[in-house]
Amino acid sequence: MKEVILRIWHIGLREIEIFSHRRMFLFVIIIAPLLCLIYFTQIMQRGIPTKMPCGVVDEDNTSTTRSIVRILGAMQNTDLKAHYASFTEARKAMQRGEIYAFFYIPRNTTDNALASRKPEISFYTADTYYAAGSLLMKDLQTTSELAGLAVTRATLSGKGVAPSLIMGILQPISIETHPLSNSTLNYSVYLNNIVVPGLFFLIIMLFTAYTIGYEWKMGTQKELFELAGESSTIAIAGKLWPQTLLYCLLMILIDVYFYKYLGFPLNVSLFRIICAGLLCVFASQALAVFFFGIFLTLRMGMSACSLFGVLQISVCGFTFPLTAMRPVFQYLAWVSPLRHYYMLYVNQALNGFRLVYAWPSIVALLLICLLPLTVLFRLAHAFKYVDYKP
Amino acid sequence: MNIIKIWYDELQTVFHDVGIILFVVILPLAYPLIYAYVYTPEVQREVPVAVVDDSKSSLSRQFLRKVDATPDVQIAAYCTNMTEAYSLLERQDAYAIIHIDGDFADALSKGRQTVVGLYCNMMSMVYYKCAATACSNVSIAMNRQIKVENYLRPKTKREAEIMETPIGYRYTSLYNPQGGYAAFMIPPILMMIIQQSLFLGIGMSMGRSREQNGGFVIPLDSHYKNSVEIVLGKMLFYLMLYILHALYAFIVVTKMFSLPQLGHYWDFILFVIPYIVDCCFLGMVLSYLIHRREDCMLVFVFMSLPLYFMCGLSWPGSAIPDWIRHLSYLFPSTFGLNAYMRISGMGASISDVAFEMKGIAIQTAVYFVMACLIYTGKIRKMLNREV
Repeated sequence: MKEVILRIWHIGLREIEIFSHRRMFLFVIIIAPLLCLIYFTQIMQRGIPTKMPCGVVDEDNTSTTRSIVRILGAMQNTDLKAHYASFTEARKAMQRGEIYAFFYIPRNTTDNALASRKPEISFYTADTYYAAGSLLMKDLQTTSELAGLAVTRATLSGKGVAPSLIMGILQPISIETHPLSNSTLNYSVYLNNIVVPGLFFLIIMLFTAYTIGYEWKMGTQKELFELAGESSTIAIAGKLWPQTLLYCLLMILIDVYFYKYLGFPLNVSLFRIICAGLLCVFASQALAVFFFGIFLTLRMGMSACSLFGVLQISVCGFTFPLTAMRPVFQYLAWVSPLRHYYMLYVNQALNGFRLVYAWPSIVALLLICLLPLTVLFRLAHAFKYVDYKP
Repeated sequence: MNIIKIWYDELQTVFHDVGIILFVVILPLAYPLIYAYVYTPEVQREVPVAVVDDSKSSLSRQFLRKVDATPDVQIAAYCTNMTEAYSLLERQDAYAIIHIDGDFADALSKGRQTVVGLYCNMMSMVYYKCAATACSNVSIAMNRQIKVENYLRPKTKREAEIMETPIGYRYTSLYNPQGGYAAFMIPPILMMIIQQSLFLGIGMSMGRSREQNGGFVIPLDSHYKNSVEIVLGKMLFYLMLYILHALYAFIVVTKMFSLPQLGHYWDFILFVIPYIVDCCFLGMVLSYLIHRREDCMLVFVFMSLPLYFMCGLSWPGSAIPDWIRHLSYLFPSTFGLNAYMRISGMGASISDVAFEMKGIAIQTAVYFVMACLIYTGKIRKMLNREV
């Protein structure tokens, strides 16, 4: 036992020696994750995008329509940037990317409304800009709704209904939304909790496959295998422990930055979410070893890691839900560490639900951690007989 | 003539190297299909919600029936109290709870305002949006009906219609009529794949030359004397290959997955050639950092996501801090993704994307000079070593 530990220790020291000669390694595993962390939290600093450029085409231009436009201008998400003379001009501005949406009030709207001829106003959003489009849509719909209600309100006043009763008539049912645990709809909380770990796991997978394959590339795999006493378990464990320590530190740093410094919602102890993160770090490393063990070439191992690592950011389903994806991705998600991290994060940090409902993810992660066992024989074979292929 | 020789050499190298083929041929062909396949279900429908109906009146049932009938939401369970409903949230059997107050029908008949509570698990904005839209649309429709039936008392059917909506409105979602995810995610991803696979391919080819030529980026050959020729020769090869990829993305992928396609070929070609050239030159500049073949994956792969976010498509450009916007002008993708999105998805002409084209032109010039300088430096270093 003592000998095994000693071997692992020495291989680790050898690994650190290799690291110290390649500055790029340090960039990839230390600087890059930190840059991503700062970058993504900065880009979404304001939480929810507000004041997005929007235009208006007011062909009627009466005091009534101007007051509708003023209501629109006062909305939270809308930055009423420009008035256009015609529909076509507004559409052109949209195609030039100057506005995300516009409001269209046709000629004679006021006249028709006063004469009970039911005029129609309309609004258009460029839904190729999904977030901007749907946020603005909400504002534009509210404004349109209010325009009609203003008329009803005038009618009711005319009929002599008391102002205190009017609200109950105009909006008898009002919806009160309670976005649980993220009441301000903070996109930074929503996206960064997954994007940053997602990129971090991607880097971990790539780098793990790279460092293992590096031995073949440098032609030192046999030397390593001898150092490990002809055991691929010891060789891999020895190679990976120094970087594992580093990853753990970074994962803790990310969590402390999110939950303590930025104050992202955390409904369980910090310790629990750090544990979830670390488990996913190990699972990512295990997957990388597994992929390398399957392909046994640096190039293919890394390609598999990058495909999987990039794809799992989509497939984990935090933007486009997994429940809407094709079944093949729903199966694939079971082996994705990021998917399970997302489930654990939602269950624990975001909502503080009971842990018992998260057990499938924990079991799945533990199973992923065991995956390298299936390729140890292949690796042992590769250490002895396989050479580097460019 | 040297340019053609260099072009031919690059072609020979790339097509005899499985690693590079993987990046410059297979990746640009396969990734668009994979991504389109992920996102083409386009929309989430029938999000399961739990209901706590304390009113148990015909009005509350009417409200719930209408919510259930919307395409976005499906009532998965009727619970007796909030605790029961909350445990459904925990199990993810429901993503939202609709709570109707015991006072609901009473308040409505007495002309008081009543509140319907909507509690959402915020794990995904899509679930929240579905639940919130469904409830708010139903409440708007019922409010109109109640207002007219109980208070305004119309005499004819037409009058009732007018009273319901004295000013009607219509919403049109332009360029993405079904409000789908693929229609806004895939077009920019297509252009991002072109840039990233160029970086990877050029980077790996650079790493390969360094490994084969003992640390030098160009072979010891009399054809490789002029850096301008080297840069142009190499670029020419990638340009020819990537025009095919670009057309594949613009025509095949878009058709295959029925993505919005309003662009004209001519506008697209006018845009995409400078874009590819720009990416090539930046790829050559960046590959200065690549010392070994596989290094390129470590450096370039994770960059795609930050670059995607800074271009201002999924995260609105107006919400991006200034320093990130300025940083984003360094990368072809910022201009390329926006221009392509507007040309192919929104039918913009080349003059509508003039700002982006200017950006690409300036970048191309700057990166061309930088790439030439880098190669001049390398040639000089090599000559010195030889002497």
